[in-house]
Amino acid sequence: MSDWYSMNVVLIQTTLTTLLLALSIQVPLRYGVFSFAGVGAFGIGGYTGAMAMVHGEWSTWPAVLLGTLVAGVCTFLLGLVVQRLTGLYMGMATIAFTLIISVLAVNGGDWTGGAMGLYGAIGEITTMHIVLAVLIVVAFLAWTEYGRRGRKVDTVREDPELANALGIDVNGYRRLSFLISGLIGGLAGAITTLLRSTITPSEVNFHLVILALTAIVVGGARSWVGALIGAVIFVWLPTFLSFVQEWEKVAYGFIVAVAAIYLPNGVLGVVKDLWHKSRTRDERARVAVGLQEKS
Amino acid sequence: MQDLLNAATLGSIYLLFTLGMALVWGTIGILNFAHGATFMFSAFIGHVVTKHTELPFLAVIAIAVAVGAVMSTLTQLLAFQPILKRSKNQHAAEMRILIGGIGVAAIPLAIAQRYTRSSPFGFRSSYDAEVYQFLGLRITTTALIIIVTGLAIGIALTVWLRNSRQGLALRAIGVDAETSAGMGVNRPALALGTMAVAGGLAGLAGALLTFHLGAIAPETGDTLLIKAFAIVVLGGLGSMLGTVLGAYILAAAETFVIFMNWGTWVNAVSFGLIFLILLVRPQGLLGRKEVRRT
Repeated sequence: MSDWYSMNVVLIQTTLTTLLLALSIQVPLRYGVFSFAGVGAFGIGGYTGAMAMVHGEWSTWPAVLLGTLVAGVCTFLLGLVVQRLTGLYMGMATIAFTLIISVLAVNGGDWTGGAMGLYGAIGEITTMHIVLAVLIVVAFLAWTEYGRRGRKVDTVREDPELANALGIDVNGYRRLSFLISGLIGGLAGAITTLLRSTITPSEVNFHLVILALTAIVVGGARSWVGALIGAVIFVWLPTFLSFVQEWEKVAYGFIVAVAAIYLPNGVLGVVKDLWHKSRTRDERARVAVGLQEKS
Repeated sequence: MQDLLNAATLGSIYLLFTLGMALVWGTIGILNFAHGATFMFSAFIGHVVTKHTELPFLAVIAIAVAVGAVMSTLTQLLAFQPILKRSKNQHAAEMRILIGGIGVAAIPLAIAQRYTRSSPFGFRSSYDAEVYQFLGLRITTTALIIIVTGLAIGIALTVWLRNSRQGLALRAIGVDAETSAGMGVNRPALALGTMAVAGGLAGLAGALLTFHLGAIAPETGDTLLIKAFAIVVLGGLGSMLGTVLGAYILAAAETFVIFMNWGTWVNAVSFGLIFLILLVRPQGLLGRKEVRRT
């Protein structure tokens, strides 16, 4: 076990940070907000954390906390500005927000290290710390998915008019989704940056959006379990299939397209459907037997 | 003045690229994220073909247009139509089409990156651009062709959409797909045709830009895609004239930024523009008010 762990420590850490990033995109989607601002928050959190360490000589955890909070606040403010947009417009406005972050980073001079990026933010983060952070986030998200709260969120997503009529504050929930998404994205960015000790503007780009989106779409967009499945698939797939490594990007594109067409609820949705079917089949079989015995 | 001319050339490239996207999005309601990849891959196929045989200008253009049209049609047939068939409502379909488009776009991009090792590629052609001097302005034949083609196709498409029967049918789909289907508009066939035209335009833009710059990188399509979105939003969804205006406005603004030596901020122009327009005037310069609810 410990051998396996030390061999794959980088992959495990990448899986966890990818999971955080994926969650930051998934939260607004669950609230019916088509926002990619989580990736911008990833950039803000990463840069804030790195700047606090490099320029302010802060220690690791205050820097991570600062990155998380700044990203959360910025994304919340963005949410206030763009909240009346819907659908694709919302999506593109938030993508524009993400890309503006990277343009700002390129033009930040000494503060952000320009196009070369910021180096030397060596944080003291171990896998245990990341696991802890992920557990806290997941526990919180699982709490929001459960029971009454979960059903409220589902209603806000599936039928905003109905939710409004039921007295649910739809706009409040939408603003809240921006705040949560920003906090999680900022946390993911700060941890990733201090783990690798560098961040460059070219990291915060369209491909990061695609990676996060891909993980959710393939895994399942309705629950944090889906994001976990997606993150595991996309980090570990290349290590198991060497031919995938060679044509990695082609395979990913193909998988995303197929998932978008045939699995709208991702792998998790398929599993849930199968489970539901097998359960109802047992049930039906039992009822049928019972009817036969009666007659 | 020279800068204005450069802006006009850039604007025409933007226009050719955006027209296809705007046409598809404004009428059949599909935001095709693979449009940038179609653009790039058409030029890329041109590059591969001309590697083996030297071809004249028009032959390269024809190849690129054909490749673009075929790719776009295939995307519609294999990805977007199945998605539309399987989606419950407009909102879910929009999102799945966006994601499906991103997935489809990744495939040609990866192939081209692998083949060229992510370095820029160009054409080997018997065509040589001549430079004209006119009132102290320098312009190449390629730039001239780009400006003329861009304007001509932009105006032709605007007029066609406004006056022809098919244009009317397309606009009807854009306003209300179900009612128009009830009136006998053949949506799947028109959608295929529209996608083919859009792909052809993307191919044309790709080939012309490659001739103009000498070479383009595989990633060029991605940047253009965001800019095209900014143009559509600026001009107003569903308005072809708005698209024409938007393309030249964006090109002029970017040229101005470069002229002022703020080169690293160029990309911020289009991103900032998306933001500004969506907040101040969401229907764009010439767009109609959003007809769809939520």
